[in-house]
Amino acid sequence: MTGQEYVFAVLALVGTISAIRLVTAKNVVHAALYLVVTLSVVGGVYLLLAAEFVGWVQILIYVGAIVILFLFGLMLTRAPIGREALDNQQRGIAFLIGLGILGGLVYLIQGAFSWSGPRLRPSVGTTAQLGQSLFRQWVLPFEAVSFLLLAALIGAVVLSRRDDRP
Amino acid sequence: MLEAAPEMDWLDWILLVARVVVVFFAVLISVMLLIWMERKVAADMQTRMGPMRAGPRGVLITLADGIKLFFKEGITPTLADRPVYLLAPVIAMIPAFLAFAVIPFGTGVTLFGRHVPFQIADLNVGILWVLAMGSLMVYGIVLAGWSSGSNYPLLGSIRSTAQMISYEVGMGLALVAVLMYSGSLQMSQIVASQDRVWNAIPQFPAFAIYLIAGLAETNRPPFDLPEAETELVAGYFTEYSGIKFAMFYLGEYVNLVVVSSIAVTLFLGGWRGPHPSFVAWLWPLLWFIAKVVAVVYLYIWVRLTLPRIRYDRLMSFGWKFLIPIGLLWVLATGAVVVLPDVYGKGALLTGALIVVGAILVASLLWPLIAPRRQSAGETPQ
Amino acid sequence: MLSEYLPIAVLATLAVLFGVASLGVSALLRPNRPTRAKLAPYECGIEPARLPAGERFPVKFYVVAMLFIIFDIETIFLFPWAVGFRQLGLFGLAEMAVFIALVFVAYVYVWKSGGLDWREPAPRRAAAAPPTALEPEAREVVRAG
Repeated sequence: MTGQEYVFAVLALVGTISAIRLVTAKNVVHAALYLVVTLSVVGGVYLLLAAEFVGWVQILIYVGAIVILFLFGLMLTRAPIGREALDNQQRGIAFLIGLGILGGLVYLIQGAFSWSGPRLRPSVGTTAQLGQSLFRQWVLPFEAVSFLLLAALIGAVVLSRRDDRP
Repeated sequence: MLEAAPEMDWLDWILLVARVVVVFFAVLISVMLLIWMERKVAADMQTRMGPMRAGPRGVLITLADGIKLFFKEGITPTLADRPVYLLAPVIAMIPAFLAFAVIPFGTGVTLFGRHVPFQIADLNVGILWVLAMGSLMVYGIVLAGWSSGSNYPLLGSIRSTAQMISYEVGMGLALVAVLMYSGSLQMSQIVASQDRVWNAIPQFPAFAIYLIAGLAETNRPPFDLPEAETELVAGYFTEYSGIKFAMFYLGEYVNLVVVSSIAVTLFLGGWRGPHPSFVAWLWPLLWFIAKVVAVVYLYIWVRLTLPRIRYDRLMSFGWKFLIPIGLLWVLATGAVVVLPDVYGKGALLTGALIVVGAILVASLLWPLIAPRRQSAGETPQ
Repeated sequence: MLSEYLPIAVLATLAVLFGVASLGVSALLRPNRPTRAKLAPYECGIEPARLPAGERFPVKFYVVAMLFIIFDIETIFLFPWAVGFRQLGLFGLAEMAVFIALVFVAYVYVWKSGGLDWREPAPRRAAAAPPTALEPEAREVVRAG
């Protein structure tokens, strides 16, 4: 095995274990921590695929922002502090949805690479290259993102508004 | 494929590990001296002596404190979530050390015929790395607050997290402005791009934003609301004592060293400075240390001068002032660089685009700016 | 490219070892005489009370986290742009101006709807109807953050 394959094996193992722990953990904050590990592993896989910028953006956005939002949400609502469990009885549905997503992803990835493995071109992953293709080729999707952000923010404000006004 | 790992013999390995170990302990010692310096400067400004007993002029005071904390009884509160409670101080410390990895603190030295750079790793995405480590710094605080199973830490950690993430945006925008000037995310390139003029001069607003955001990121006075002892006892580390408290303390000061070093690297020319030609490797290092000490002194001075800011003012300052100024500055920098260059060929298309964009924005903004009218069915209160 | 991360991996290992070792060694060497009062959550000398479940914090913290994500993503988009905006020229500048402006609309909306004001507005309810006996206490707690 080459060094990269070795690193990938370790990452895959850690990612899988933490993903399983994530769904089986009884305590939501522990689950959030396992989510941090899983998302970091995904970032590590991006690094292995020579997409350095994407890898660190994954860490920055998902680990540094999204999970923080989750933790805020948990603390704002009803996460017990300290050693208490919080769980529900929706394993069956979650299992079905997970299976569906897995099937879809496998189908898509199989369609894209047909089991041959992705071709790595490290020069494409650089920040400058990414910028050129993002701002030359994919202008419209890029601008659409700003609409998405706008909608997300307005949604957050509307939802968080308290209806205690008479 | 990825490029095959470069051939490394045992000497390379030893040099690599030695470099990392030396840097690690150098940072530890610099933190020790930094805490002593802070106490001495504070004492000086308040006309007292400060620590005098441990070592000459009290220079070993931090070591003495550290040893005391090391042998102090550690308490795990009854309601604490033990694994996370123990994890939090370690997590608070590690990202601070890792962030230091990309900072060039000198040109390097040749040892045994090998070039040893004075930088742990010159990543292609250096600035992004700094920002990512900064965002991980929040975890130590969130987890400490949650896992303590106590009220004050929880309140303090939520407050602190909100503060840190708010100022992280401002910091990111300041970094983007630097990036536009240097055209690279790599720290060595950024230092190289400042050979004629330091970024702090053309990019002064970005520099100011960075320094202020750095103050908030390190939770230092006047932005030390997480530890506002008059209202929150000690904030997120209320329940921590002994070595675990020492780790939070250490992490905080390593963070201060890192924030100052980044300020020096990005805005103050890094290790650059005039120097004599003999022992060429030493002078850049000394320049770097001198500049970092100057920035740290500034932070200490601010701490001793300004009172703590009220929380609502802190948040409004971050969101209503720092971020809009940062965004405008990024756009202004872009305009100043681009407009003189390419006014001409594509002007028709881009001009049209700007007008369309402006109309779009104006139409979206109008309902917010327009004076509110009473809708038909509503009765005035 | 990955070999660049080798020194960082060494540094990370060192930092983790340092943290774990100092926790472990200190745990072996220091005294350990817990008592019930010592282990109780810190509460300024009164009986420890838990914050009531349910809404414990102003929802504003959540809005701030949301706003942070939006601006974080915006900053991330600025990075590849900032590296190459000289080549992209005026078109790139206009692109980014439109993008920033659109996010700015969201920002102005949040500002106008009071999401950035941290001072609690004077409770309008107080003037309308006297609060019930339970309410003042509950509001104290909610406002504590």
